[in-house]
Amino acid sequence: MLIFSVFKTLTDQRVTVELKNDLSITGTLKSVDQFLNIRLDAIEVADQARHPHMMAVKNCFIRGSVVRYVQLPAEHVDTQLLEDATRREAASQAKR
Amino acid sequence: MDDSPPPPEATPPPPPPVTSGSPTDFLKNVVGKRVVVRLTSGVDYRGVLSCLDGYMNIALEQTEEHVNGTVTNRYGDAFIRGNNVLYISAAEPL
Amino acid sequence: MDTSTGIQEPFDLIRLSLSERVFVKLRGDRELTGILHAYDGHMNLILSDVEETIMLVDGMDGAPSGQGVVNVAKRKMEMLFVRGDGVILVSPPSRT
Repeated sequence: MLIFSVFKTLTDQRVTVELKNDLSITGTLKSVDQFLNIRLDAIEVADQARHPHMMAVKNCFIRGSVVRYVQLPAEHVDTQLLEDATRREAASQAKR
Repeated sequence: MDDSPPPPEATPPPPPPVTSGSPTDFLKNVVGKRVVVRLTSGVDYRGVLSCLDGYMNIALEQTEEHVNGTVTNRYGDAFIRGNNVLYISAAEPL
Repeated sequence: MDTSTGIQEPFDLIRLSLSERVFVKLRGDRELTGILHAYDGHMNLILSDVEETIMLVDGMDGAPSGQGVVNVAKRKMEMLFVRGDGVILVSPPSRT
């Protein structure tokens, strides 16, 4: 839930999603859901030559389970806030 | 002939649990002991088992990583994500 | 209950590493070091100041058979989300 919230705060920012098949897609984060499925607009694919079939694609939906990494815009991430929220979530789960 | 069902006391009670115990008992007993954790990849981690949870996530102390018999890394503490665990083996008498 | 390190469940080890540099071993012969800012029960992570090391088995160049790992690639990323399903091991900074 916490990570879902983080992604929601990053909507309309540019992110780079690296998939488990090594494809890297940079795009504008349009939406995210609880499974961390991701919708990207205005996408660019790194290493176009290796992935020519992606040239015509302008937006996409990425299933959360195929994601390896997402590179985030550091200037839009409040790390102190993240750590506090993580401790709060950990505490609430320990009490369950 | 009496064909009524046998009286209740005729059915033997279930035997008491044997001392070797259940998998859960093993895990309880092995906490704090030296263990070998083998991952499905074949990599072994040898260390002292700090604790573990229901997903078999594991916290180890004084951990050595062994890849085909040679030490490839050492960690003061290590968290191992449970899905990677093949088995946990006691490396000292319980 | 109170051991020397005060750890009762494995996630305590991770919680005590928030805002510290951690080492992460991932599937696919990848390793990361970075400063830990958030995690959840799936071991999804958010790290900053990340260095990734990818171990490559180099079969070309006529290298004599023997050691498998011949080559490593490194790259740096400012702020990174790591999907938990790829995580094998997380190690806090050595506080021995």
